[in-house]
Amino acid sequence: MAQARWKPIGMSVIGLVITLVFLFPVYWMVKTSITPITDVFQTPPKFIPTEISWQAYVDNFVRDAQMLRYIGNSFIVAFGTLLLSLLLAVPAAYGLARLDLKGKAVFMIFLLAVQMLPGITMAMPLYIMFSKLGLINDFLGLILADVIHSLPFAILVLRPSFLALPKGLEEAAMIDGCNKFTAFVKVVLPLVKPGMMTVSVFCFLFGWGDFIFALTLTSEDAVRPLTLGLYRFIGQYGTEWNNLMAVATIAAMPIILIFITLQRYVVGGIVAGSMKE
Amino acid sequence: MSQPRTLAGKPGLSRRFGRWNGYLFLLPALLFLAIFVLFPILYNVVLSLQDVDVYNLNGEHHFIGFDNYEKVFKSSVFYTAFRNSAVFTVLSIVFQFAIGFALALYFNQKFPGYSTMRSLMLLAWMLPVVIIASVFQWMMNGDYGVLNFLLQSLGIIDEPRSWLSDSRTSLLSTVVANIWTGIPFNMIILLSGLQALPEHLYEAARLDGASRFAQFRLITVPLMKPTILILLMLGIIYTFKVFDMVYIMTAGGPVNSSTVLPIYSYELSFTKLEFSQGAAVSMIMFIILVFIAIAYLRVMNKEEVQ
Repeated sequence: MAQARWKPIGMSVIGLVITLVFLFPVYWMVKTSITPITDVFQTPPKFIPTEISWQAYVDNFVRDAQMLRYIGNSFIVAFGTLLLSLLLAVPAAYGLARLDLKGKAVFMIFLLAVQMLPGITMAMPLYIMFSKLGLINDFLGLILADVIHSLPFAILVLRPSFLALPKGLEEAAMIDGCNKFTAFVKVVLPLVKPGMMTVSVFCFLFGWGDFIFALTLTSEDAVRPLTLGLYRFIGQYGTEWNNLMAVATIAAMPIILIFITLQRYVVGGIVAGSMKE
Repeated sequence: MSQPRTLAGKPGLSRRFGRWNGYLFLLPALLFLAIFVLFPILYNVVLSLQDVDVYNLNGEHHFIGFDNYEKVFKSSVFYTAFRNSAVFTVLSIVFQFAIGFALALYFNQKFPGYSTMRSLMLLAWMLPVVIIASVFQWMMNGDYGVLNFLLQSLGIIDEPRSWLSDSRTSLLSTVVANIWTGIPFNMIILLSGLQALPEHLYEAARLDGASRFAQFRLITVPLMKPTILILLMLGIIYTFKVFDMVYIMTAGGPVNSSTVLPIYSYELSFTKLEFSQGAAVSMIMFIILVFIAIAYLRVMNKEEVQ
């Protein structure tokens, strides 16, 4: 009896240790960001800070407006990616799921293939193309490039949500006086909200985390996102680790917030994105 | 709702029109993909057969056949990059998968807090690669990095090492960071597979006195085969094209010791401004990926038939 009662608790303890060891890099990032610079270079390092300093945050986000601009740019790119992906993916996923169209299978295989394209294979032709179109150093250029990767994912993940809706739903709505379009907007869309949430979260993550397109398609700070700001920071202040980790922590903040509030959508998205239905 | 239905009076026309109407739903996505995916890839093919560099980017281009490919195949850096890519991919996948599987098996058991713990780990996968790369760069720093301290205290190394600027360990260091971010992805996919396994098979096996290991080998692995195969294929594809982790941590150095193919392609195009040679390398990568992707689709179809 006693053994049976203690076993789950023992397993919890082991599980907790595994989780904490695994997440050590995240802890180390936050810990370094609030360590005074003199303590950063201390050997042996302190695993639990005895003195907390917010100096790195003040220096980088209060005194230096550039970091705030990078953050703003990241939000523009991430939300732009989210909106454009949804705008294109929702009708496409609906069509693939509920309409009798020829060539659907080919289109879906094509989507799978696009997901597998290396970023660098796209970056170079896009660079030359966008130079001619005037889309270098332009938010629109970055958003368009990010949607290349988020759109196939969005369509493939949304399609099963539409498939799961009962047959004849649109017809019923049309009997009630809707036309095809209003049936879609007023009846179908509200029912696939969870799927749209999942897709939104992922598109935001794609846009927020993009590095390769930011690196190749921008050269001006006015449009550069925070990922590139962080990268340039490594080069400039390579040894001021507390500053660097403060910027990294701030860059991680939106992701951590999404993680806390919208976690269930993330798990669903990972599984749906890699398995076929 | 008040929108007039103009074609309502002509059923025949309406039906024919309706059929094409359906494609209108796909049209925006199709147009986007044609302009921003198909066209750039075709352009890349053309570029790889031309002589475009920084001097004639806006001038006249000439077709020069497979000269760019020949140059690439004659360069020793290409073979280094190819080997590094293979090492990077294989090591990443083996460890991500093995650790991910072990964690999935552990967190598939029910104990207080199991679901919170396993989703906490997801954070490692959600964070932007730039952040992960810079944190690992700091932890692996030769002078003040915490990794040296930990390994020294455990007696694994005698003196501090510069993991990233030593050509013997630079590639492995990027692999370690890449494994870390890939573990939660593997764990979540495998967990979803494990949860779908029928419990009664395990009960029957236990009644027959099968050991835990026998249950794993005879029930879990065979039933998980489709999930495992798809996961490994996807893993190979996603790992083979990793650029940012390596670029940020080592930029391919020192002396190409951690240059993988995407880095090599980037260097040719954006540092040396030999656009056509860069395009050739990225076409070679593309062709390798196509082969892996065909294998992936075959596996998926085969598993679906069964």
